[in-house]
Amino acid sequence: MGRNKEQWLIDRRTFLKATGVGVAGAAIGRFPFESFSLDEAMAAAAKAGETAVPTFCAMCGPAANCGVYAFTKNGRFIRVAGMKESPVNAGAVCPKGQAAPQWVYSPDRLKYPLKRVGKKGEGKFQRIPWDEAINIIADTLKRQKQKYGPESLGMLSPARRTYSEYLYRFLIAHGSPNYGHSGICAMQMSFTFSYTVGDWPRAVDYANSDLVLVWGKQPIYQGPAQAGVKAYVNAKARGAKIIAIKPSVEPDVGLADEWVPIRPGTDAALALAMLHVVVSENLVDQRFVEQWCYGYDQLKDHVQKYPPAWAEKITGIPSDRIAEVARLFATTKRAGIDLGNGVEHVPSSNDAIRAVAILISITGHLDRPGGNVFGAASKMPRPKSVHLKERYTQEWVDKLVYPEFPKRFQPFIEGTSSAYYGMLESVLTEEPYPMRAIIAPGTQALASTRGSKRVVEALKKLEFYVVVDVARTADMPYADIVIPTSTPYEMDHPFEVRDNFIMARNRVIEPLGDYKSIFEFLCDLGGKMGYGADFWGGSMEASMNDQLKPLGMTIDELRKHPTGIKYEMISREYENYETVFKRKSPRISGAPFLPQGKVAIYNTSFKEAGYNPLPEWKEPPESITGTPQLTKKYPLILSDYHTSNVYTASWQRNVPYLREIQPYPALHIHPEAASERGIENGDWVRVESPHGWLKVKAEIYPGIRPDTVMILHGWWQGCKEIGFKDFPLLDGGANVNIMYSVDREKAFDPIVTAMSSQTLVQVMKA
Amino acid sequence: MSTQYGFSFAKDRCVQCYGCEVACKSWREAELGVRWRRVHSIWQGRYPKVKNLSASVSCMHCADPACVKVCPAQAIRKREEDGIVTVDGGKCIGCKACSKACAFGAPQFGANGKMQKCDMCLNEADLSKDFPPCVETCPTQALRLGKMETNEKIGIEQDIQKLIAT
Repeated sequence: MGRNKEQWLIDRRTFLKATGVGVAGAAIGRFPFESFSLDEAMAAAAKAGETAVPTFCAMCGPAANCGVYAFTKNGRFIRVAGMKESPVNAGAVCPKGQAAPQWVYSPDRLKYPLKRVGKKGEGKFQRIPWDEAINIIADTLKRQKQKYGPESLGMLSPARRTYSEYLYRFLIAHGSPNYGHSGICAMQMSFTFSYTVGDWPRAVDYANSDLVLVWGKQPIYQGPAQAGVKAYVNAKARGAKIIAIKPSVEPDVGLADEWVPIRPGTDAALALAMLHVVVSENLVDQRFVEQWCYGYDQLKDHVQKYPPAWAEKITGIPSDRIAEVARLFATTKRAGIDLGNGVEHVPSSNDAIRAVAILISITGHLDRPGGNVFGAASKMPRPKSVHLKERYTQEWVDKLVYPEFPKRFQPFIEGTSSAYYGMLESVLTEEPYPMRAIIAPGTQALASTRGSKRVVEALKKLEFYVVVDVARTADMPYADIVIPTSTPYEMDHPFEVRDNFIMARNRVIEPLGDYKSIFEFLCDLGGKMGYGADFWGGSMEASMNDQLKPLGMTIDELRKHPTGIKYEMISREYENYETVFKRKSPRISGAPFLPQGKVAIYNTSFKEAGYNPLPEWKEPPESITGTPQLTKKYPLILSDYHTSNVYTASWQRNVPYLREIQPYPALHIHPEAASERGIENGDWVRVESPHGWLKVKAEIYPGIRPDTVMILHGWWQGCKEIGFKDFPLLDGGANVNIMYSVDREKAFDPIVTAMSSQTLVQVMKA
Repeated sequence: MSTQYGFSFAKDRCVQCYGCEVACKSWREAELGVRWRRVHSIWQGRYPKVKNLSASVSCMHCADPACVKVCPAQAIRKREEDGIVTVDGGKCIGCKACSKACAFGAPQFGANGKMQKCDMCLNEADLSKDFPPCVETCPTQALRLGKMETNEKIGIEQDIQKLIAT
């Protein structure tokens, strides 16, 4: 939650007073400036012959929802200013948000529906009208549904967005459980935490913490204008100690007090060794363990196998350092672990996450001041869900092609889901059946998931592939139909909800071609398929009015509050164990997450499903300790960053103002590792793994483990305005996804299907 | 001139988001390749005790600007009334002497070959009331602007110079 406007202004005034720097007033200069209130934005726009439209930023996700005023002149979107009133960003805007107009007007935008005329992969298309595109898709899906059953249709999921629920709605109306979740972000942590402590206590109570372990997380790059970053910086300023546990130093680590450089993919080993320390030295919260934990005695025996000296070999962290961090965490009363999605990119993901959840719990840091706290609630009535979850049955679940979580744990909170990569893999293996049609809305199978070489084969073989996006995607050449869609700046729906805040989206500019929003695409397609009754007769206004009923208002009434409506929060209390530990799971049976009503240290749910009841260590497919025979040829560990300060995952390389800041795919390499190989800063290098090779630029990076190299994920797209061409998608390009094993036994977490993003490589001058 | 406008920068609050750099470009419609403001990533120490620091640097509108002294065309001027350093594109001959003299990498040269740089948005904002976009967009208020004593300003210039020379 962001601070409210008043608090923000008070903070700023105090801050400025303290530093003796001038005080800002509310008046306007000749030129409309940043961080406006509604009146200021309107006045400034009027003065300059411009229009200011209150709306949301759309440059990252999931569910980021920073408030902005978008300025237009003569119908053209020219720039944005932060919305002071928004509790999400309180007037701040990050570089992605600032560069939005360049994204909207990029030459890469798709403006007309396209139909493939050449071979798959050739990239030859013919322009067709919107209605014809909808007809072709509807005819194909109807035919396939009859021939192969509705489950033969899958949707690849983007990072969770407002339209995710509409995708589910379409699949459910159609009869398919196959929503392909990418398995790289959020749901793995949510799943494992929920089945261990009843909920996902993702938030560290930064305002009250004396110690935070920022672990496998980049707390800044996603949503730097939001409350999390301010909480981090303010905690630091207040004197809280921050220890960063990650393979390399990013700006957040730059601000941290200490850095614990860990080998990529070994978080489970570190967490198990920390459990060993706190259990052996009896640094646990005795009362909490007795009252609220199930299976502590089994854990005590179990962790004997994992002393710090064992973990040192795997993690590369000295054993005394492991013990020191474990002791400090256990003995600091107000301490939390801010766990990031680094732990969701490893085949030991579920075990890493539950080991951390157990560590937080037994040391007495669960839902306590300064610790990992359960979510707070607000007084806002929740808008009606557009998901059709009530239609789920066991039969439905049983049809999943490659369940993201085992079938007995489906559906999970988002709905039923197959693993994104697994769904594509089914096209090749035809096990248990092949997907016949896949729709890719706002996601790129060749850039988003691992195993691009297999993905290309799957896309070649797939009967019907529909790409739905605002701009050219990596896998568009394989599409049968391409549906262009509006950017959120070109549409007036949907409204957005964040915690206790709700606001309408307003249209900034008209669409630039023959296309509609993704919502309207689904409504049109739903209508054509005969599912019109589930799609509000094709009206998004009717859809929003329906959803807003619990709030007692219509979308027109919500629009009368251009900067949204903020409801009161219900004040937070700690130690909500009684209620949270009884929470029901979203499974068909509705059985609670925690069968004993206690923290599941010894996890009987997992045991009954045939998995280990206690967390264990599993090596990545290739690693220094797991496959030492490979280290002669491939001496360095490779992993990747999920997102960066200027790019959200695999998009935005085509935005010139952002590309200027980070022009090339950069391999972070330690000065020693570089000099041993005669590599200098900015050299083009060849990076070789057992699965493929990349050609990228070396960035000599003092803040990385000398045995590890890392690169940003998602590189393929060029930037026409500054003359940068696309990179090849497979060998010789910059797409790190080709570098990893996709071996079904070794590369996946057995419960949560997280995929490995660690391998071994050699690096040489190109 | 007892007080003048100047930027100040709290390095322990900057998270290197680059919001300031892109806000500057977007609001001033900068041509590609020109960076009036630049975020620096600075390394200190040796592994594993390595630190990463940040600096957001534009023209510092120095109390005693080196560029003014070296400009053979008298195209650069420090304004008496508020200390803002301005450049007159009409007079600039594009010799880049200012570029060599500046410790902050402020002078930029675009397609027209004339020197351009941060002007503190002096024609766009009433600095007694408004902040320029680079300052307003900063999520952590690491970058600030205001009137300050000349001595204080010189201190800030020296700190930034030391930081980016690391």
